[in-house]
Amino acid sequence: MSKAFDITLMVLLITCAIAVIRTKDLLGAVVIFSTYSLLMCLIWQHRGAPDVAMTEAAVGAGITTVLFLLAISKTVRREK
Amino acid sequence: MKRALTAALLIIVALPMLYAVAQLPPQGSPTSPAYTHVSARYLEAGPEEAGAENVVTAVILNYRGFDTDGEVTVIFTSLAAVLAVLLGVRTGEKPLAGQPVSSVEASVVVSFVVRLLAPAIALFGIYVILHGHVSPGGGFQGGAILASLLIIITTILERAQAEALVPLRIRRWLQIAAPLAFFTVGVAGLVVFGNYLQFPRTHDLAWLTVTWLTIIEIGIGVGGAAILATIFWTMGGDS
Repeated sequence: MSKAFDITLMVLLITCAIAVIRTKDLLGAVVIFSTYSLLMCLIWQHRGAPDVAMTEAAVGAGITTVLFLLAISKTVRREK
Repeated sequence: MKRALTAALLIIVALPMLYAVAQLPPQGSPTSPAYTHVSARYLEAGPEEAGAENVVTAVILNYRGFDTDGEVTVIFTSLAAVLAVLLGVRTGEKPLAGQPVSSVEASVVVSFVVRLLAPAIALFGIYVILHGHVSPGGGFQGGAILASLLIIITTILERAQAEALVPLRIRRWLQIAAPLAFFTVGVAGLVVFGNYLQFPRTHDLAWLTVTWLTIIEIGIGVGGAAILATIFWTMGGDS
């Protein structure tokens, strides 16, 4: 059961990573990247590293997403 | 041609890395090098000696305190770099932060939810900072939570109002709180025990260890929050 959970998380993580590179819409890429951080946070927690999981949730899924959104609002939304 | 070259390069880099990963000991193996050197002592003596029941905090702030001192300096330097670029200090260019961002009035729902949750988030952030030596968490995590609180408050208030929550004169000092806390504790260790950042190792001075750890945790938490919020506001965090 635990192993199946791990594998599911890993597959979703890799899917997110590829989707971030493939998508041309930067706003969408930021949202997917935030999902990536959330999955990473679950993996840290499941691997027994709650300290890192908290940092990942607060910094990875929260603050970097906001900063990326701000950067996009200052430039253009679509990648050429 | 270019794609084939890229693929070949990637494979050449990936193969040794995959080979190296295959050589790693299985996770949780008691004979792996990570568990056989200093960590045995950390786990055994950490709670007693380092004044923190959470071994991660004991390692980060006490045993490897010098590393963390460097890390908080790096975070402060990154703030200085961001400010230098965004405010155009060197070149005297027109500051980027001054450009208006199209702002949308926050809806009633967003405003209500933020107002409802803000006290709970503040309490949680402070709890994570102060309780970091017993449970998972600590200055870095709690600071990030407090910074997110300031950011979501900015979404419902005008930027000027939100920034007024942490006045500029105080913020200047809060931004250097983390290096300052480390410096204070470090010099205290130098004066009392003869080495920079040296903590007491004896049982009857455990209260002093806990006090110093708490000073550093508060410094990292408050300093981190101030730095992250300032970066957000400088990048143009208009509502």
